[in-house]
Amino acid sequence: MMWLSGGFVFRRGTSRYHRLDPRVKLLISVLMFVTTLIVRSLYELAFVLAFMVAVAAVATVLRRVLRTMMLTALFSAFIFAVNFIVTGNLEMSLLYSLRFVAIVVSTSLFFITTSPDELEQVMKTFRLPRDVVFAFVTAVRFIPVMLLDTIQIMDAQKSRGLELEKGNIFRRVRNMIPILIPLVVNSVVRSGELAEAMESRAYGAVPQPTSLVEYRSSLADKAVAAAAVVTFALVAYSFYYVLPVHFP
Amino acid sequence: MSDILEVKGLSFRYPDSTRRAVADFDLSVPQGEIVVLAGPSGCGKSTLLRAVNGLVPHMYSGEYGGEVKVGGVAVKDSSMRDLAQRVGFLFQNPENQIFMFTVERDVAFGLENLGVPREEMRTRVDEAMRLLDISDLAQRAPHELSDGQKQRVALAGVLAMRPQLVILDEPTSLLDPKTAAELVALVARLRRELGTTFVVVEHRLDLLVKVADRLVVMNEGRKVMEGTPRDVLFRDEAESYGVAVPAITQVQKMLAKDRLVPTSGLMTPAELAAAVGGGSR
Amino acid sequence: MIELRNVTFVHQNGVKALDGVSLKIDSGETVAVVGENGAGKTTLVKHVTGLLKPASGDVLVDGQSTSTTSTARISRKVGVAFQNPDHQLFSESVEEEMAFALRNFGFAPQLVEERVKWGLELFGLEEYRKSSPLVLSGGEKKRLTLACILAWDPEVVILDEPTVGQDSIQKERLAETIKMLSSAGKTVVVVSHDIEFLWPIQPRVVVMKAGRIVGDGPAATLMQDRELLDSARVVQPQLVSLHQQLTKRPERPFTDALEARRWLERGKRTP
Repeated sequence: MMWLSGGFVFRRGTSRYHRLDPRVKLLISVLMFVTTLIVRSLYELAFVLAFMVAVAAVATVLRRVLRTMMLTALFSAFIFAVNFIVTGNLEMSLLYSLRFVAIVVSTSLFFITTSPDELEQVMKTFRLPRDVVFAFVTAVRFIPVMLLDTIQIMDAQKSRGLELEKGNIFRRVRNMIPILIPLVVNSVVRSGELAEAMESRAYGAVPQPTSLVEYRSSLADKAVAAAAVVTFALVAYSFYYVLPVHFP
Repeated sequence: MSDILEVKGLSFRYPDSTRRAVADFDLSVPQGEIVVLAGPSGCGKSTLLRAVNGLVPHMYSGEYGGEVKVGGVAVKDSSMRDLAQRVGFLFQNPENQIFMFTVERDVAFGLENLGVPREEMRTRVDEAMRLLDISDLAQRAPHELSDGQKQRVALAGVLAMRPQLVILDEPTSLLDPKTAAELVALVARLRRELGTTFVVVEHRLDLLVKVADRLVVMNEGRKVMEGTPRDVLFRDEAESYGVAVPAITQVQKMLAKDRLVPTSGLMTPAELAAAVGGGSR
Repeated sequence: MIELRNVTFVHQNGVKALDGVSLKIDSGETVAVVGENGAGKTTLVKHVTGLLKPASGDVLVDGQSTSTTSTARISRKVGVAFQNPDHQLFSESVEEEMAFALRNFGFAPQLVEERVKWGLELFGLEEYRKSSPLVLSGGEKKRLTLACILAWDPEVVILDEPTVGQDSIQKERLAETIKMLSSAGKTVVVVSHDIEFLWPIQPRVVVMKAGRIVGDGPAATLMQDRELLDSARVVQPQLVSLHQQLTKRPERPFTDALEARRWLERGKRTP
């Protein structure tokens, strides 16, 4: 849970990176992601990870990213162990497990610096249907509400003598029923109320709704995007043609 | 003055029910009035409200009889798109009517849906936020707001549509008394400044009776009492319909019978004390 | 029965929900906890049942620290009816709903049946015995959650905002139930905004503000302290305001309209 909330939940920030056009942030994360897939050696990967740490520092989320790296490293220790036992190849095993860390960090960098509002904007650029975008918006919007619901339900049932951690695995699964049923019932009631409120505020009245805020790429955004693409090209080129696979 | 809302012989029965939720209901509300609707739980208030803003019969179908007109146009023959601009609806739980991630975008939600051009939308959103004193919250996310603030945000979203008639469904039930009193004062101010008509369902009458022009009591789908708040609350049967007669009004009623205080208008504790010569002992 | 000793609790987001709270509630007392939203009332309740553990300080229920006792064990003694019934109803039938806690607490099958029957009768819910709790009206759901708790006969009953969404007839019935519980020797704690509802019950009142207890005493004294009430954003009961406008004499204000009339008539005769 801590890993998830620390690594992927947006928190408001004021850095230059936060203020970038969300599409540019997506581009940077995608490029970093692809780079981690094409690295062939540990020191190339080390370079990629160092680059990500630098981006995190610019985005003033260094501490969160480092913590995510540490927590992910615990997971990837498992990947390392399995790989090493199966292949017996130390370097490959290290490469695979660290690559996992790099993949998580590249994705995390996008999500922790991009507000749900901006995510919606990104989805609109990809011309997804209004209903799909709105379903996504509502889903994300109600995550904190549902979490609160869950806590309140668990509190209520614990106060009626329910012991969640008691008994064997089957008993524990059965213990979840008094939690899950009210959660589902509440969600159904909530969706009904949401539907009423949507209708009352003219949802779907016109095929092309307008938007209060306009996201326009500034010149700086475009420059950053161009720089990202050039950097990626240079890095990819040097990985394949300049640097040897194994450091001498 | 012409009536903004006219309900004539309205009856409605949900398909899965044997009983009519609303039965032979009549009501006319002139522009600019604040009407309070009271009655025991399950008396048909919610259905009546939904028949005014068009959710009945457009979203909930059933056996529909009689007529509801808003601004002279039958609700049954209007589209939800059209009704959304004329009738605003503030639901009981503000949480479930805030959709977007920032306050200003949520206030704009209805206008975006109607395809209002950006510049005009900006003016109307800013105006609605200013009216409700939430301009400083414009960039906040819903989960960063208190209950009272959520209520204001939801109401701003309703007012940005510039409706002639606003429905409030138990608006203070989740608020603490001071926040509730602030909301009631806000409603009175909006009526004064914008001339908006309000239809309010509320159990907590102690706050509302001072600003309401009329109190309507419903029971089992029918209108059983109607009049000024004073007229209704002074009648003995009010309590039998689950209407909470404020403590101070109970005292005033008893004293009025003994002709110790004037019988017209509802009094606050201070007014009542002054009328019987308070402070003398 | 319940004792909080200098309890402090900080939420994950850094907000201090309880700030050095000390409170002692004796067996058989009826206590109302009031204060604006976010003052820490619900957090206080959750500490009493051990759902939250204090960051510092200690919470004792019947002499046992909640830090070392599970919520399930504390709940046997402390029953809480939370604000929203939909957060707990899940069974196929009303009687199963009532039996749930009793089985968790290890009641014998025969005793379960007896207690369920007793609870259904007390709250006038017999006709719904076999129905799903979800088809009940809002008021009936509230009554059912209270019946569920009283069925296991806890020594302390906590009601969190019991009057929300209730009409005046339902509220009157609820006030009767609270009086019945306290005359049966139960400790009753009511968390509520509804001052007009609390006033005739004349409980001991605990006023909370920003995680602290800023007032504690009998309703009759506390509700006359305008300064305190204003600072905690609590509204004064109407009959207390009336009394204060009429006289400066130190006496208990009217608890109902009849008392007010009697007082005023006495004044007429002796001008």
